[in-house]
Amino acid sequence: MLLKPEGLRRLCLARDLLREPREASPTIADLAREVQMSPFHFIRRFEALFGVTPHQYRIQARLDIARQLLAAGRHSVTDVCMEVGFSSLGSFSTLFTRRVGEAPSVYRRRVRTMVQVPGTVPAALIPGCLSLMGRLPSSAFADPGRSFREA
Amino acid sequence: MRIKLTSIMVDDQEKGLRFYTEVLGFRKKHDIPVGEYRWITVTSPEGPGDVELALEPNANPAGKAFQEAMFAQGIPIAAFEVGDIAGEFARLSAQSVVFTRPPAPAGPVTLAIFADTCGNLIQLYQRT
Repeated sequence: MLLKPEGLRRLCLARDLLREPREASPTIADLAREVQMSPFHFIRRFEALFGVTPHQYRIQARLDIARQLLAAGRHSVTDVCMEVGFSSLGSFSTLFTRRVGEAPSVYRRRVRTMVQVPGTVPAALIPGCLSLMGRLPSSAFADPGRSFREA
Repeated sequence: MRIKLTSIMVDDQEKGLRFYTEVLGFRKKHDIPVGEYRWITVTSPEGPGDVELALEPNANPAGKAFQEAMFAQGIPIAAFEVGDIAGEFARLSAQSVVFTRPPAPAGPVTLAIFADTCGNLIQLYQRT
């Protein structure tokens, strides 16, 4: 599929709108109108471009923001749930647990205990290339042909 | 000093691994769990064999902001060399890959740009 610059710009706009946690989140039909595509084409093009449907993208974006807020440690799980636009604490917890691998309360306790320098991002949110390499076993850096156990 | 490893940020490592192997055709070299994330690298079957591309999670908000801004501006974040750019364009298009620029000459190379479904635009180039 070939996407012209205008199409790319519109779909990026839709992506930004999907990420904003708002009381009244725009429906997929609203967004399709906003970017001047039919709902069918909007969903299809969005998925081809970003690898997930608009709905999946919104859920993922909300969970990402939830992780940041929980890591900052200044909000309760209930506050975070409301802040990112979930109306039910139960569905938020279930979804968070399924995607992140632990309940929001457990995640909050774990990442909060890390030492934080003011003005920096919590270490749990920095899975940068170098920090990943720093935590690899030393054997990972030996001759890969012989000593590295391929996953 | 030599260049052995480079990396690209992906918004979802599992999705990234699928795209870079199943769609692009790279081979998985390492896949090691590291906390919540994974250390994933791929290599090209066309070589050079010891140069690895790491698929890094973009969980750092700063990385995400950078990635999204580059994407929205239509700027590719990496470039791969190909031998037959028209053939790659046809092959990837058949797999629903979105191109923002079809193959077109640009001086000494022919360029094309596609979206990797993980938040990046990637440039393909063929020397002419």
